[in-house]
Amino acid sequence: MRSVSIAGTGTTAFGELDAGVKELGIKAVSRALRSCDVRRDDVDALYLGNFVAGALEGQEAIAPLVADSVGLTGIPATKTEGACASSGIAFREAYQSIRTGVHDVVVATGVESMTNAGTAEFTRALGSAADQGTEGETGLTFPGFYGLLLDRYMHEYGATREQVAAVSVKNRRNGVSNPRARFRSEVTVEDVVESRRVADPLRLYDCCPAADGGAAVVLAASGIAEELTDAPIQVLGSGHTTGRSAAYRYDDLTTLEATTTAAESAYSQAGIGPEDVDVVELHDCFSAAEIGDSEDLGFFEKGEGAKAVAEGRTAVDGELPINPSGGLLAKGHPVGATGIGQIYEICKQLRGDHENQVEGAEIGLAHNLGGSGAVSTVTVLGGPSDV
Amino acid sequence: MSETDEAAFPASRCVECSALYGHSVYACRECSSESIEPSPIDGVGTVYARTTVRVPGADHQGAEPFEVAVVDVGDEETVRVTARITGNPKLEPGDPVVFLERREGTFYFEAV
Repeated sequence: MRSVSIAGTGTTAFGELDAGVKELGIKAVSRALRSCDVRRDDVDALYLGNFVAGALEGQEAIAPLVADSVGLTGIPATKTEGACASSGIAFREAYQSIRTGVHDVVVATGVESMTNAGTAEFTRALGSAADQGTEGETGLTFPGFYGLLLDRYMHEYGATREQVAAVSVKNRRNGVSNPRARFRSEVTVEDVVESRRVADPLRLYDCCPAADGGAAVVLAASGIAEELTDAPIQVLGSGHTTGRSAAYRYDDLTTLEATTTAAESAYSQAGIGPEDVDVVELHDCFSAAEIGDSEDLGFFEKGEGAKAVAEGRTAVDGELPINPSGGLLAKGHPVGATGIGQIYEICKQLRGDHENQVEGAEIGLAHNLGGSGAVSTVTVLGGPSDV
Repeated sequence: MSETDEAAFPASRCVECSALYGHSVYACRECSSESIEPSPIDGVGTVYARTTVRVPGADHQGAEPFEVAVVDVGDEETVRVTARITGNPKLEPGDPVVFLERREGTFYFEAV
């Protein structure tokens, strides 16, 4: 197996952009291509993650559309879909194709356009990731799935609503200084626990906002990557696994097995443990999700995640900064773009030029999750100083 | 079945390996057999987790707010299902519920 590095990165801001997936994909990929010394004919393949463009925009065949539009012709261009983990999977497939020697240079991108649709329309589109034959029929939404998870978590571990709200407070604070974030204003614990109810016990400010956005990376075999950039980011480990496809399929709804198994795979490949990670971007689609994720990724004991965030241990200046970008809660969640958006933020941290820079960050982790914990990717990245 | 008047819950069972299912399956998850037959079980249940959906998707507009719960249903053998709870009772994990009916693919329970 060959080692793989990220040579180039590009992104749009996340937010209300009044742009479709074609424009967002073209901009993200073009920026990634221009960020390094890659030539178009160096690129062997493109993988593109997208979830709801067919449902919301009526646009499919996006991977070849974007590839053709950015001058990448005559190569395979493949869409990957795994709900909100769609571009985590695109990254993973691109990485695997280089690691196994099939390709040398591959572009991975994720795109989504959501804000031109109404809330009911995109709630239905996102709900298509539930098992329509069983759980979907009940009317359970994704906020509803995490409402169930939080209801059980609070019952089992005695976490308080105020502790859980601390996730939103932290991530909204981090988003203030991130120009790529949709929300640039702070909220208080009181704002969160008094905001409109969405899916009990979750309220509006526990929920990430929809967004439009695109993000892309240029991956290359180590050795080639050094010819394309002075600061290649090493892919130290990558895990991609499947979990449970509905709430009733869990024996323990407070642990999403897709995350624990993807993390085990990525840590094992990287030869590290959770204690070695310096900075994390994880899938905080809801405040409750960040708490569960932080435990499932091995950073805190089961039941300790809510207390940890309330105590400030995951703040930018805490012992383990989580979502210094503002996460999905502040950046927004352009579902198919989120996974590579997280990787973009970690690359910026490891190059030492992030707006919320974590001092001395050498190892970063990105965690992307799709469906009812149905699929997860975990990526462990190492900074250029480790080469 | 119990002597109470709740409806039997329409579980199904693998003819070959006896695995029991709440939501219907097209093939057995344990042995891959496609021979699945009805196997009603007791309709008493216990709430595992619940939520109130207040912002529904387009297909459920107008029904909000409604209760969705993960319920462990059955007596000697239980299965876990995702179901609607009728009315808007203040339920917590561990509370008892009983099965009412299956309508348009959805299981409905009510608070005891």
